[in-house]
Amino acid sequence: MAIPGAVGASIVDYTTGFPVATTGAAPNNDHEAAAAGTADVVQAATSRSLYVSAVPHDLLEDLIITTAGGYHLLRPVQTDFDSRLVLYVWLDRAQGNLAVARLRMQKLADELIAT
Amino acid sequence: MTTSRTAAPASLLARVADERQTGALVVGGHPGGAVYVLEGRVIYAESPAAPGVGELLTASGRLAGRTWQNALDLGTSTARVGRLLVDQGHLTQGELELCVLGATYDAAYFALSAPEAPTDFLPGATHWLGPVAHIDPGAITREVRRRVRLLDEIFPDARVDTAAVTPAPRAPRERVTITALQWELLVHADGQRTPADLALLLGKAGYATIQELRRMAALGLLELPEARPAEAPELVRLPRMRGTAVDVQRPVVGSGKEPAAPMVRSGNEPAAPMVRSGNEPTVPVVSGAAPVRPGPAPPPPPPSSAPAAEPPRNAPAPPRLARRKPGAKLPKEVAGETPPVHPGTDEVLLKRIRTALRALR
Repeated sequence: MAIPGAVGASIVDYTTGFPVATTGAAPNNDHEAAAAGTADVVQAATSRSLYVSAVPHDLLEDLIITTAGGYHLLRPVQTDFDSRLVLYVWLDRAQGNLAVARLRMQKLADELIAT
Repeated sequence: MTTSRTAAPASLLARVADERQTGALVVGGHPGGAVYVLEGRVIYAESPAAPGVGELLTASGRLAGRTWQNALDLGTSTARVGRLLVDQGHLTQGELELCVLGATYDAAYFALSAPEAPTDFLPGATHWLGPVAHIDPGAITREVRRRVRLLDEIFPDARVDTAAVTPAPRAPRERVTITALQWELLVHADGQRTPADLALLLGKAGYATIQELRRMAALGLLELPEARPAEAPELVRLPRMRGTAVDVQRPVVGSGKEPAAPMVRSGNEPAAPMVRSGNEPTVPVVSGAAPVRPGPAPPPPPPSSAPAAEPPRNAPAPPRLARRKPGAKLPKEVAGETPPVHPGTDEVLLKRIRTALRALR
């Protein structure tokens, strides 16, 4: 995996909480539950548009949740056609580097569409 | 053509998958759909209620209509439209896969969510798109069940999924926050378009559309479809008008022949049958829609057909108007009934004169 410290990753449809594609491990070994949770978090951040409407034309870039043991990064995948996908990466706290992971994820999300 | 019978589409899909068959599972009913299986794996699904890959790609502007049509012309016979688009550089493999996955799950929801429907399996049938994704049928049926549940958790009223969408004329609260998709849906909902129409028009996933509609229904942003189904639902989807005058006439015309009467009446009448059913709830809703209508107004016929009934019916109307008085529009609405008659005839005359003049030129 291109992101150092990554434990698992998935692409989640955040309207339905459905994991479109998964790889590696998921929290509690349950990709579907992780996807449902991911969808809830994204919905919470976007539906009230509390954060993304703070300034005009703002756009959600990523959501980062840190825990004692890891980082959880969520990044919407922008497609030209209609889709509501978010890339989810679970990082090991000790091995992962948040800044690096964030940049790599940005690239990953772009490449997903560009290749 | 093995089984033409009413069955649970999902269980038939499971059987087909177990036998590792290839073909199309065609599900009838409303909205129905088809699920394409290749050696026991689902490769695509389509439904009239869900935009397909082509609609998603062209409606969003990702592909020009011409490009898509070319790919169809070239690749349909050999079932490799998807490959072709990637090979020609119009789409990336990633885009195609994500698009196909999304469209497949979306259509599968509509095709498979019915507990029972007339279901056929056509062995050997393939889809022109070609195999792009290979999805475990079990995952699809599980996801379909989950999506059904999700909708009911949002707002347990399935009528919202199929009935023409009518935004509530007045917001239920001082301040309402809506998402981008909800905005698009509200802007394009004209009282006639169904959720499926809106999804196709906007190039949005059918399920996502329904989901947002249920959310808006839960928020009180939509008028709920009337609880009287069956009588003329499929053939004529008439716009819902709100006007006290219309309301009053309704009973006379509506009961016997639904399709015929509304046609003649043009704009004004159709509203009546729907409004009529729920008298109490509609009253506060009435709002300002009526004043706009008198303009087009070719309703000379209606007065002639229902004049007898009008006077007696008028009795209940006044109290309603009094209630609304603060808006000060009452006089107009009341007056709105008669004036259109004259302008209407004038309109026709004017039109004739105009066309005559044009012919002279």
